[in-house]
Amino acid sequence: MQLKFNTRDPVYMQVIRYFKTQIATGVLEPGEEIPSRREIANMFKINPNTAQRAYKEMEEQGLIRTERNFPSKITRDESVIQHVREELVVTAVNDFVDAIKPVNVPLDELLDLVKQKYAGADDQKGGALDD
Amino acid sequence: MKRYVKLVNFEFNRIAKVYAVLLGIILTSQIIGVMITANGYLKKADKAMNEDMMSKAEFLQMYGQMDFHNIAYSIWFIGPIALSVAAVAFYIFLIWYRDWFGKNTFAYRLLTLPTARLNVFFAKLTTIVLMTFGFIAFQFIIYPIESTVMKWMVPKDFRIDLTFHELTQQMLDLGLLYPTEPMLFLLHYGIGIIAVTILFTVILFERSFRWKGIIFGVIYSAVAGIVIFLPLILQEFLLNGYFYPSELIRLSMLAGVIVLAGSIALSGYLLNKKIRI
Amino acid sequence: MIEVKNMVKKFGFKKVLDDVSFTAEKGQITCLIGVNGVGKTTIMNAIMNLTPINGGDILIDGQKLNKHTYEKVTFIPDAITMLPQMKIGEAMEFMSDFYDSWNEARANDMIDFFRLNKNDRINTLSKGNTAKANLLMGLALDVDYVLMDEPFSGIDMFSREQIANVFTSHLIEDRGVIITTHEIQDIEHLIDKAVLLDNGTVYRSFDVEELRENEGKSIVDVMREVYQG
Repeated sequence: MQLKFNTRDPVYMQVIRYFKTQIATGVLEPGEEIPSRREIANMFKINPNTAQRAYKEMEEQGLIRTERNFPSKITRDESVIQHVREELVVTAVNDFVDAIKPVNVPLDELLDLVKQKYAGADDQKGGALDD
Repeated sequence: MKRYVKLVNFEFNRIAKVYAVLLGIILTSQIIGVMITANGYLKKADKAMNEDMMSKAEFLQMYGQMDFHNIAYSIWFIGPIALSVAAVAFYIFLIWYRDWFGKNTFAYRLLTLPTARLNVFFAKLTTIVLMTFGFIAFQFIIYPIESTVMKWMVPKDFRIDLTFHELTQQMLDLGLLYPTEPMLFLLHYGIGIIAVTILFTVILFERSFRWKGIIFGVIYSAVAGIVIFLPLILQEFLLNGYFYPSELIRLSMLAGVIVLAGSIALSGYLLNKKIRI
Repeated sequence: MIEVKNMVKKFGFKKVLDDVSFTAEKGQITCLIGVNGVGKTTIMNAIMNLTPINGGDILIDGQKLNKHTYEKVTFIPDAITMLPQMKIGEAMEFMSDFYDSWNEARANDMIDFFRLNKNDRINTLSKGNTAKANLLMGLALDVDYVLMDEPFSGIDMFSREQIANVFTSHLIEDRGVIITTHEIQDIEHLIDKAVLLDNGTVYRSFDVEELRENEGKSIVDVMREVYQG
């Protein structure tokens, strides 16, 4: 697993964002065990203290649970997972809006375009699966 | 203490190969010397008796019997001894400088060992002393072999057999390296060891202050020299033979001990506080 | 904690280090950053008492350096400090002979980790493998602090990667590390704390995550301010 971190955002936040994406998209399932802090540090080539901080933060946000001497697990709390998913969508939409705003496209036209692209992306995905 | 012994072992091993080669050179060269000298003598005798029709007695009267002096003055015999002396003298410097200027700067390691840095100093000093005494012992051991070779080659009537002791007693320059009196031995090598500690101190001055250190080093050696010879100087020039000879010796020894202690203390200080990688 | 307080170092009349102060905590990786010739190596040498300083103090866990400190702090210079004709195995023997803190099991671990061969002579190793063997001699000591001088300079990409991996592995564990570098890219995400040196003094020292969080800047951004601003 290779993840390219940027150098300006705190690394621990980038780690959390990575996990949130994995949770929201279902790659990591509720209750699934995740790698230890050291393994994560090793995998992402980041400072172990930073990995530790990311895990602590995720525990505080209820994203993962750690019982003494056991590997950390993804939360089974549906509301938390739902929240993460929403957050992810909102962030993505915010980014999108921030990017498109300066172009000044009428909203209707934009929505049509989004619908079209969205369906197209699904089609392409389906097509790829058929191969 | 344990680490000092290990350091000595380590330092000696670093030079062991070269040392073994030197011992080999001494043995080979000196045996060759024995053979060439004996051969020359025999040829001379052969020529005198067979061509010049001298009698054995006439020949012996004219040229004398052969003894080990004939050999000991040849370059084959003295040469490797001189080489060994030069090697030790050279290694007094190299034993330090190789740690700084070797391919890998080993001084980093030596100076960060969890032991007093003076142990490094003592280990190097001990190595120099071991090398020196090793040469002496080796010469002592191979002499009987060499004199046996001579015995094989030169018939009994034509030679005088000398023990090593007799040989060194009669040869002043060899006697310097192999003093026959225990006191003299102590004196010669005592002075030698003090000289090595002074040189080590000079080297450490240089390693601490570079160019400036050489100046400090020269000044220090001058001071050390004056202190060592102070009793003698006083006796000769100021006190008009005030001391008894035994007192003079004791005072000189005291002066030597002071310089030895001074060099060690100063070296310890330089190693701990001033040394530079 | 290693504390460097108001260190002054002169070469002749020239002050190369002037009032340098910083700390390096156990369990953290502290990076001394600066262009070449800024005095990083001199600072390392001074911490190890390998060069005298003209002022200031260096404390290791509150104490001045003495011979026992070398069981607690080790220095990995930018070139290997073993005799060239030694085999790696012999160099390891040397270390275990002299250091009580030598950890043979970890040394063997590292032989595997770096894929080195104990029977290879040091002078026959490639640059990358020499750097790894050098690292091994230092990291196999059970010391609290490790000082590394430019561990990434002059070696191939894959060796760099392997060495970078050391920092996230159990080989560093909870030790305090001081590392110097003039190229931060390799380890930007690995370090906890940066000490930026310029003109023989500390321009700025900071927690890198805090910098990203509070100022949204990367280490390189701050370096740019120093060296171009």
